[in-house]
Amino acid sequence: MNKNLYQPVNAEIIDIIEESPTIKSFIVQPQESFKFDTGQFVELTLPGAGEAPFTPSSSPAQTDKMEITIMKAGRVTALLHDCNKGQKVGIRGPYGHGYPVEDFVGKEVYIVGGGVGLAPIRSLFLTLIDRIKDFKSVVCRYGAKTPADFIYKSMLFGQWQKIKGVDIKLTVDQSNGEWKDNIGVVTTILSPDDVNIENAVGVVCGPPIMMKFATIKLLEFGFKPEQIYLSMEKNMSCGFGKCGHCMLGKYYVCKDGPVFSYDMIKNYPNIWA
Amino acid sequence: MQTVFISQLKPLLDTVASQMDVYIPCKIKSHFVFSKYNSNTGNEVELNNIRACTPVKEFLFPLRELAAIFPEPLVPKEIKPFAIFGLKDCDLRSIEILDKVFTEKDFEDPFYINRRKNMFIISSDCFDPGQSCICNLLSGKPFAGKGYDLNISKVNVGFIVEVGSEKGENFITKNSSIFTKAGEDILAERENNRAETQKQLEEQNDEYKLDAPVHEIVQQSYESDVFDQEASTCVECQACTRVCPTCHCFYLYDTKQKDYFGKMKMWDSCMRLSYARVAGGENPRKVLGDRLRHRFMHKFSYFLERYGIDMCVGCGRCVDAEAGKVDIRRVIKKLNEELNVKAK
Repeated sequence: MNKNLYQPVNAEIIDIIEESPTIKSFIVQPQESFKFDTGQFVELTLPGAGEAPFTPSSSPAQTDKMEITIMKAGRVTALLHDCNKGQKVGIRGPYGHGYPVEDFVGKEVYIVGGGVGLAPIRSLFLTLIDRIKDFKSVVCRYGAKTPADFIYKSMLFGQWQKIKGVDIKLTVDQSNGEWKDNIGVVTTILSPDDVNIENAVGVVCGPPIMMKFATIKLLEFGFKPEQIYLSMEKNMSCGFGKCGHCMLGKYYVCKDGPVFSYDMIKNYPNIWA
Repeated sequence: MQTVFISQLKPLLDTVASQMDVYIPCKIKSHFVFSKYNSNTGNEVELNNIRACTPVKEFLFPLRELAAIFPEPLVPKEIKPFAIFGLKDCDLRSIEILDKVFTEKDFEDPFYINRRKNMFIISSDCFDPGQSCICNLLSGKPFAGKGYDLNISKVNVGFIVEVGSEKGENFITKNSSIFTKAGEDILAERENNRAETQKQLEEQNDEYKLDAPVHEIVQQSYESDVFDQEASTCVECQACTRVCPTCHCFYLYDTKQKDYFGKMKMWDSCMRLSYARVAGGENPRKVLGDRLRHRFMHKFSYFLERYGIDMCVGCGRCVDAEAGKVDIRRVIKKLNEELNVKAK
């Protein structure tokens, strides 16, 4: 008998971290070891309630458990936010193609993130800093709505800032008064001098509107479309290019993505919607 | 492969039915709908002139099925062999298309494969083409080319039975007593009948004849306004995608039963407004014309690029079923004419 590709692996939520008022990270422990590449996604099932796609935010080096950061955005995510430790869940995957990390070797990796978009980027970031010497530099520009909306606060304001070869700048759309850094959307902290564009790759992940304007900005700086990697999070359902929900032009985002270089998809309309 | 003769269909169907369930097209008003064959009803079996109005996909990929359960995993159940009688070339080509999707290496659908390998296909030649039949415009024929176990062709004195697979060959050999040899004369009659039906189709569809292969026309029409114009009468009934034998979109949803949780797989439609909508509310195809464009692009461009064949077999079911009168023949013809005008 063939393997049933619709059957999730049983798993349990073993810890929950409140990241921001609308975002929580769930530590999920599958019954069997679970491997994925950074940027690939999984389908997380809340039995009897529903299923939704998420890119794990933990390092692929960890296979006994994974961290999934979830913003309360729809029906299933709201139900997940109501869950407690010990909740049984299911995981299918991993699906699709993640970040082509080997192609980044020797280059400056210019990461632009917004909001919960830092979740997939965190997995990439952890992968990169594990072997930081292989890359010229890792430059991260990240924005949140307010200081309270930053996720992974302790790492973001602490440990990650101290890593040699890593340059992090943060911004908020609105300050709470105590914020001493930049105020404005993430594109306001992007500068063509951040990286040597000829030897750089751009990685963009965040809300659609932010991805659109960040991509436009990188193109203005002189990035070529093939130098910009986007994590396109569409309505992935089956995960293996059959059910059709996530089609973006000829691509199944679940199978051919979710990470695409901009030149692959730039000619389709409504890619940011 | 053998070609044999049988004077009546009943002994053939009874023999198949003694070994497995058989589904045959039964006439309801002007349409044929599949129902289970029962040899005791004594009704005369009528050979369907064209495809049934329902798609063959429902036998391989049912409208709704249980795909997974919790906490114990679902073991796909064994399927008993079953036979479908009266499938046409368009039906067989639709199975070829579904095979590409559901038996794809690395992502094999165990439920589909289970049914597929237990399916015994008895196809038959078309005669008196339906008003909406356009297979001739989509590289199809009114008689089966491949993909059948047995194929039936009606001739004056009875029926020619042609073997198309090892399964079919075994059946004929095992039940050789009910068949006789097919003579040269009736084989010639079959060729004449086939040519005649082909001619009828070509005459009937002359007004929809295209100046280039359909995929070339659709591929060049991405920016066309025709999709928005045609969508203006669409009432989003989704019937086009339900009756389509090649449309295979589905929706996965979770249910709570008394003693288990289930994951269901159900047919879906890309013409539905919320089909591509994401949790945050964004929707890349909010506009109906964009959904119609996507459906045509998927059928005639994206699928072809991925799997090497068009995802339309020209069965015409969508033309018959459309509540909003979006006619695939007219859409393609309009795109063709638009390109001709542009070229001038």
